[in-house]
Amino acid sequence: MIEHVVSRESFASRIWRRTLEGVGVKVGFAWVMLLVFAAVFAPFLANSMPLLMSKEGVISAPVLQYLSVEDVWILATFFIALAVYLLRRLSTGKRILLFMLGALVAAVLANLFVKPPVLLIYDNFRTAAYTEVDWRIMPPVPYAPTDYLRDLNSRGLEAPFASEGRIHLMGTEENGADVLSRMIHACRISLSIGLIASGIALLIGVVVGGLMGYFSGIVDILGMRLVEIFEDIPTLFLLLTFVAFFGRSLYMMMVIIGVTGWSGYARYVRTEFLKLRKQDYVQAAVASGLPLTSILFRHMLPNGVAPLLVAVSFGVAGAILSEATLSFLGLGVVDAPSWGQMLDQAVKSSTFNWWMAVFPGGAIFMTVFSYNLIGEAFRDAIDPQLARKTGGDK
Amino acid sequence: MSQPLLEVRNLRTYLQSGDREVRAVDDVSFSIPKGETFCLVGESGSGKSVCALSVIRLLPQGIASHPSGEIVLNGQDLLKLDDPRIRAVRGSHIAMIFQEPMTSLNPVLTIGEQITETLQLHYPDMSDAEAEQRTIMALEQVQIPHASSRFRDYPHQLSGGQRQRVMIAMALACKPQLLIADEPTTALDVTVQAEILRLMRKLQDDTGMSMLFITHDFGVVTQMAQWVGVMQQGKMVEVGSCTEVLRNPQHPYTRQLLAALPENLAKPVRGRSLSQNAAGELAADQAPLVQIRDLKVWFPIKKGLLRRTVDYVRAVDDVSLDIPQGEIVALVGESGCGKTTLGRAVLQLEKPTAGSIQIQGQELIGLSAGELRPLRRKMQIAFQDPQSSLNPRLLIETTLAEPMKVHGIGANHEERIELAAQLLESVQLKRHFLWRYPHEFSGGQRQRIGLARALTLDPEFIVCDEITSALDVSVQAEILQLLLSIRQQRNLSLLFITHNIGVVEYLSDRTVVMYKGKIVEQGLTEQVCSHPQQAYTQKLLSAVPRLKVENKPFLKLNKEIAL
Repeated sequence: MIEHVVSRESFASRIWRRTLEGVGVKVGFAWVMLLVFAAVFAPFLANSMPLLMSKEGVISAPVLQYLSVEDVWILATFFIALAVYLLRRLSTGKRILLFMLGALVAAVLANLFVKPPVLLIYDNFRTAAYTEVDWRIMPPVPYAPTDYLRDLNSRGLEAPFASEGRIHLMGTEENGADVLSRMIHACRISLSIGLIASGIALLIGVVVGGLMGYFSGIVDILGMRLVEIFEDIPTLFLLLTFVAFFGRSLYMMMVIIGVTGWSGYARYVRTEFLKLRKQDYVQAAVASGLPLTSILFRHMLPNGVAPLLVAVSFGVAGAILSEATLSFLGLGVVDAPSWGQMLDQAVKSSTFNWWMAVFPGGAIFMTVFSYNLIGEAFRDAIDPQLARKTGGDK
Repeated sequence: MSQPLLEVRNLRTYLQSGDREVRAVDDVSFSIPKGETFCLVGESGSGKSVCALSVIRLLPQGIASHPSGEIVLNGQDLLKLDDPRIRAVRGSHIAMIFQEPMTSLNPVLTIGEQITETLQLHYPDMSDAEAEQRTIMALEQVQIPHASSRFRDYPHQLSGGQRQRVMIAMALACKPQLLIADEPTTALDVTVQAEILRLMRKLQDDTGMSMLFITHDFGVVTQMAQWVGVMQQGKMVEVGSCTEVLRNPQHPYTRQLLAALPENLAKPVRGRSLSQNAAGELAADQAPLVQIRDLKVWFPIKKGLLRRTVDYVRAVDDVSLDIPQGEIVALVGESGCGKTTLGRAVLQLEKPTAGSIQIQGQELIGLSAGELRPLRRKMQIAFQDPQSSLNPRLLIETTLAEPMKVHGIGANHEERIELAAQLLESVQLKRHFLWRYPHEFSGGQRQRIGLARALTLDPEFIVCDEITSALDVSVQAEILQLLLSIRQQRNLSLLFITHNIGVVEYLSDRTVVMYKGKIVEQGLTEQVCSHPQQAYTQKLLSAVPRLKVENKPFLKLNKEIAL
């Protein structure tokens, strides 16, 4: 009897290693990481106010004073996520719970204690109060996304490097704001709509699909009809209708995309659960008299979740595209910049300004492409047929 | 030895797997005379299939390479032929049949079309009418009833045995000189296997072809082979005539393989006196541990728009069975006879339609999940497939300790881990295996862990559902010995579901034979196996391929001592 050469790797880390084997997927991950970095630290990367300055011996940080509730919450959540990730001693479930709790507490605290000045006039930051100082550190891009540079006589629609006395790496848009700054701040919308909309869809999909798969029979028949009903709803037209009736809101968009997008996930989970229910180890768990929650969430869900995660990575890309489409049609969010809205601006202006189309278009393309690359690599990694080719056991 | 048809000399086949090279076949030489059969025997992974695929050149070219060797068929070295010429050899000179009859036929073509296609490929001049005639003849040759009307049947309309016959008909349609059969009967029931083997011998006599027959079953070897080659890790450790190798094995590995066969294992002395008198009847005051009465498990067949139940599949039909404390009851039958369903129904994993199941006098049927939970401690199950019996995402520690926690065994986590470690030791595994994942173990080790899991709750009764069928004989022997020692230590009762008669004879105290959902015969194992009363049992037992008669006296003698 040949003893198999065994590895001490856990299932999850094996999948993770195989996912990261390709070059394309590394590029995809790098891009997503870059987006996350830009989204979290946007106020520090592109802003009109100094990060740190010393005036008459008093050191102050105007950026911190002007941080909005949203900024503070995003920063706090990011660092909580980082800390939870490093807490390797706790189980995955506890870590996720801890993260959710932390994010919630951060949201409450931020709403209670963060009170940024109500009035924000970017022109003021270029007056003597902020320029005649001992020293100051400016953000890499010294323009806020909604700073229209009126005091600097910006004419708007200046090509990259074409402005006099100012550097705009990606030019300016029709109102005179810096395009790069708007691109950086728009990462937030793209990331959050992708993740939150997919998160809502995933939650509904797993619950409905799981119940359908485990109980089968009448629950399954009713559930499948529900799935079919939701599959027939055209998301874009529903979004347009809602925008027409209730006005524009990013949160409404997230909810609608999430609530209409779960049917695919439910199908995946249902199929997996129907298959897993008959697996010997699930039968053994039933025979040992384990409680239903343990059977469902410990013995079944982790084994059926992998194909779902692949679908999610494609779903995130889809949600980003939906938002971009809506913004492109001029029905997106008004006050915050988004990539789709910038594309809309490019089309609406009378002349063709390449920098207005290329940068946001390229970013949308890269993001959707990255998520698809990750999804594809992940799918290949969990496919045992493909895994066997790359040196598994026979 | 007459003129050899095929001569394989110093064949090496290396397979590229990732960045390492596997020596799947390492310096193997043998020859097959005209009209005779050469059997390749070995455990899984020994390279016997790769060896056969090398002969017919079916290995993927990018992965397989032959650093040395010659494969000479009719004076022609097959390794030196280019692709078009090897394709001409395949089918017309060499044909092959595979193990899995369910997947080796194309499901969207009729069986007639599939055979005709092969014929017309090798005889382009053949007319359609003639090809059809030849096909029907070929089907008749493999004894398919009403061959001309089956011509237009699709594979799914045939049973497993019939599909294997169609495969043979297809392989023989072009009258090859050499037929390679890769475990052609492993997936079939013993009675069907016996028919197929008889058919293959008859076809060999009729056509004078040679056969290269791959198997892991020494019983099949004795029925088929003139010559035997034993393979171990890519090397041919012993070659010789069948009688010579089986009667007088030279190589230690061959001896080890033969000794591991259930019929050759030394039988333990049984503690018969415990619950039985000399006649083997239960003592009157001793109630059986598990009592099954008139059990029915019927699955409805639903049809039509309203999903009305039109009929039932009677998987288990009116079964009554007693399992005494501390005894091993073997449940034997062919695939689809309902033995697995019965095992699962006893544990309430399958909902019975009617009947009664009592364990220590407590009725199980009709209890809610909550009422059933404390009773689940008393009965456990171990499964057939080592791949799917353990949760791949959980540490062995979690798999073993979680049921203990739920049932309140062990005061705290440390104590439960200690108990789990002791369990692993009791199935002859190491303590630190607790901190590993299932994929780090071999099939035999996983089956041991599966047994350990069944023992975690200290049950009175375990259903073993074909736990050794997926294992090699040597591993099977170890598991069987382990089962006996555990039974001894814990006074366990087992319901051992199997189709392997050799295992039944070795292991069990009582034997129950099932056929089409009903019990046809039950009694003490010696009585059922040596003096079967029912026609079906007799047919089943006579179909079991056994080692040659030379071994029999030794075996009988051994048994008498044991009793």
